[in-house]
Formats: sequence, structure tokens, C-alpha cells
Amino acid sequence: MNHDQIRRFAKDSERQQRDSMPALTDAVNRFMDRDDRTIDATSSVLLGGLTRRSLFKVGGVTVVGAALIAACGSDVKGASTTASSTSPATVPSTTGATTVDSVLNTTLITTPLTTSADITLLRTASSIENLAIAAYQIAIDSGLVTTAAVVSAAKLFQDHHRQHADLFQSTTRNMGGEAFTKPNPAVLAQLKPTIDALKDEQGVVRLALLLERAAAATYQAGVGTVTDRTLNVALMSVGGVEARHAAALAAALMDVPVPTPYGLIDAAIASGTGV
Amino acid sequence: MTATVAHPEQEITVEISERSLRALVADTDEQQRASFGSMPDQIRALHSQTRPLRRNAASGDAGIAAFAQSVELTAVAAYTAAARSGLIKTPAVLEAATTFADHHQRHAAAFGSAAGSAATGKLNKALLQALSPGLAAAKTETDVVRLAYNLENAAAATYLFALGALESMAALQLTASILPIEAQHAVVLGQVIGADLATMLPAFQTQDGFVDPAKFPVG
Repeated sequence: MNHDQIRRFAKDSERQQRDSMPALTDAVNRFMDRDDRTIDATSSVLLGGLTRRSLFKVGGVTVVGAALIAACGSDVKGASTTASSTSPATVPSTTGATTVDSVLNTTLITTPLTTSADITLLRTASSIENLAIAAYQIAIDSGLVTTAAVVSAAKLFQDHHRQHADLFQSTTRNMGGEAFTKPNPAVLAQLKPTIDALKDEQGVVRLALLLERAAAATYQAGVGTVTDRTLNVALMSVGGVEARHAAALAAALMDVPVPTPYGLIDAAIASGTGV
Repeated sequence: MTATVAHPEQEITVEISERSLRALVADTDEQQRASFGSMPDQIRALHSQTRPLRRNAASGDAGIAAFAQSVELTAVAAYTAAARSGLIKTPAVLEAATTFADHHQRHAAAFGSAAGSAATGKLNKALLQALSPGLAAAKTETDVVRLAYNLENAAAATYLFALGALESMAALQLTASILPIEAQHAVVLGQVIGADLATMLPAFQTQDGFVDPAKFPVG
């Protein structure tokens, strides 16, 4: 994987976007123009989380996002790995205020620096991307998403995740590993009750937001833990985009799009989980 | 470029020249130096975390962190100038600008601490020079927001570039924690101005448009 490869993926994507998604800008991007939003609500969207703490509401149950994903990791500690004999790394969770030291303290992951660990991380990343593709397909097929702009956003983001999966899978093969081509089974199992209980568009978008934040956190958490240093760039070339998706989805929900001054890894899925 | 200066009893609309803008930036520099005097506990903790980075200044990590600090301080100055320009009429947009400026101030402090003795604590003059004509020519809220949007995208691209050069765990993780925030700022601002999808929501974060340290050196 090199910069040219990322650039090529990006150029292809830009072309596709120009061709197929012009309507999205007029709707999702102009969330402030919605007639049903008060000035206070719009202000809340733009404030960046200074006035309230953001919680996820999924399937009618309010949970802190990290708790759900952390639970996914804890359920699969014994999961076998095909590319690595190492145990899945544990990503410590933090609570309380977002500070620089909390960011750094929580990113001290104990995964040994080996090529096989790199491959495990790439397989985990692939599994998350495949899960996101599947989740967006469920959303599109569910009939619950009725706002045209949200459908367009779901298709656009799903297409991005396809390209992310391609990148991670091809990089896995280039490093001598076996690409992981299925949705992450452990996380999918954990989310299944929530998916089954989805009953409206808002719930679908919140689920997407949960997945995007988990993906962004996972890739951020992987930075600095890899032996092949070009992977740091690859991880954040994707992680930065998941963060953008999350901001757009949060805005669509009138949630806080930039809730903290630093990206957190509380919601990260531990490398090796389910793969 | 016009700016509305708050006064207890009246508002005064003034023209802001490039020289005024520089004076404004000098004020920001002063605020930055003052804030370093009361550095919160979290930065002291960071200082402890990044000790290996500072010892290994020859690796270039400290220099990159110092450069990043200068970019962040320039962003603070740009937001401050935008907020004082009087062009931002929408209260929510003004509050967003203030919030994002605060984020950049925190980022600057974190990078400064990571850079250790290499940190200058000053904004990037060359970058400011590049931004100044746009700020001075801005006539509408959209103009100002678009400048901020472009700057946020450039910052995100710059940190991706930095991730390809940094070596220490602490510097890598700090940079990886800041890149997504700049990207999210860009999305919010992009939504305000109706930015094109390809730059606001690309499939991959790239280094396109990054602030090149060779062209915009610290100092």
C-alpha cells in the first residue's frame, strides 16, 4: 500500500461522486435550512458538544456507545485468528472529560509489533468495513429510511466502505495474509437485536452513527501499533473519512457533530475481535 | 473587510486592513503566551507522555510537532479574525467558529508540549501571509466560512502527511487524535456553505492541499 494507491482510490471516488450523488449536497449538507429546526436546535448542532454530553439511543435503549462495542470485544476473547497467534488487544475504556492525557493513556495498546499483528489489524478493519456495507444495505432495504437525502447518504457512505474494504483486503494480501471478506461476526451478533428492533429512520441513522464512530475509533487506536509505518497513513486515510461520516450523520440527527476536541478511542473494536 | 468592535454603549464598524489583521494576530500570539503560563494538568500529563519524543528531537518528530503547533495557532488567528470581522451574522455559525478556535488552541498547546524545546509558540507567518488576502477580501459570511473550511481540510491533509513522517508512538497517536477533528470541522463548515461532496465527504482522506513545511516553515 502506498500513497499513489490511496490517491488512485480517492480519484476514482471523486469521479463516482460527481457522477452520481449531486442531490445529497442540497439536502443533508444544508441541514440548517430545515424548517422544523429551531434556532436553539441548530445552535446545538453546531456547538460542538460544549453544552451537553452525547449519548447514543439505539432501539429505544440509551447506551454510551463505548459500552456496546466494548461488550462486543469482551464476548469474543476466545475467537480464533487465522493470521496471528496473538490474543486480541484490549483497548481500555475511559470515562469523564476529554483531555489530551486521556487520549494518550487510552491509546497505549499492548499488541506486539509484528507483521502478523499488522495483518490481524487489517483483517479486523476489513471486517468492520464489510459490516458497515451490510448495515447500510439493511438500512436501504428496510424501507425505514424515507428521506431521499438520507438514502443518498447511505448509498454514498456504503460505497466509501466498499472502497475501504478493498484497500484493507488488498493490503492484507500484499502482506501475505488472507483477506477477511465477511462482516465481523462478533460485532454483528452483538448488534443483531438492535438491528432487528429498528423501527424508524432515526434509529437506522443512529445505528450508522454508532458504527461510523466505532470504525473511526478503531483506526485511530491502530495508529502507532503497526510495524509497517505506511499503515499509519492508510488507517487514518480511512479513519478521517469515518469521522466525517459520523459528523454528517450526527448533524442529520441534530446531534453534536464534533463532540470532543480530540478523537477518542473509547468505542474502538479491539484488533482480532471476531476475525 | 469590515469588523464590528464591541463597546459597552455602541458598536463601531471599522475597516480591517492587512496591517490590522497582523496586529490582531499579534494579540492572539500574546493570548497564546499567556495561556501557556497557566497550562492545565492535562498538558503536564502530555509532557510526561512525550518525554521520549523530546529526547529524540533528531528524529524530526519534534520539528513536525512544532510545525503543527504553528499551523494550529494560525488557525486560531484566522478564526479570531473571522469572528471579529462582523461578517458572521448567524449566531450558531459564530458559536461554531468560537468552539473550533478553542479546539485549535488546545491542539496547539498539545503539539507545543510534544515539540518541547523545538516549539516556538508562534503562528506560521508564511501561512498567515497566504491566508491574509482571502480574509481581507472576504465580504460575506459565506466567504469567511469557506476560508475556514479550506483551512480545516488543509489541516486534516497536513496531519495525514505528518503521519507518514512521524516515528514516535506519542506523536503518532496525538496526531491521529487531532486529524479527525479537523475533518469533522470541515464537514460542519462545508454543510454551512453547501460545499461540494468530493472535498467535504471524500472516500479517502488524502494529503491533497496539505500545508507543506518546506513552503510554510515555522517562524
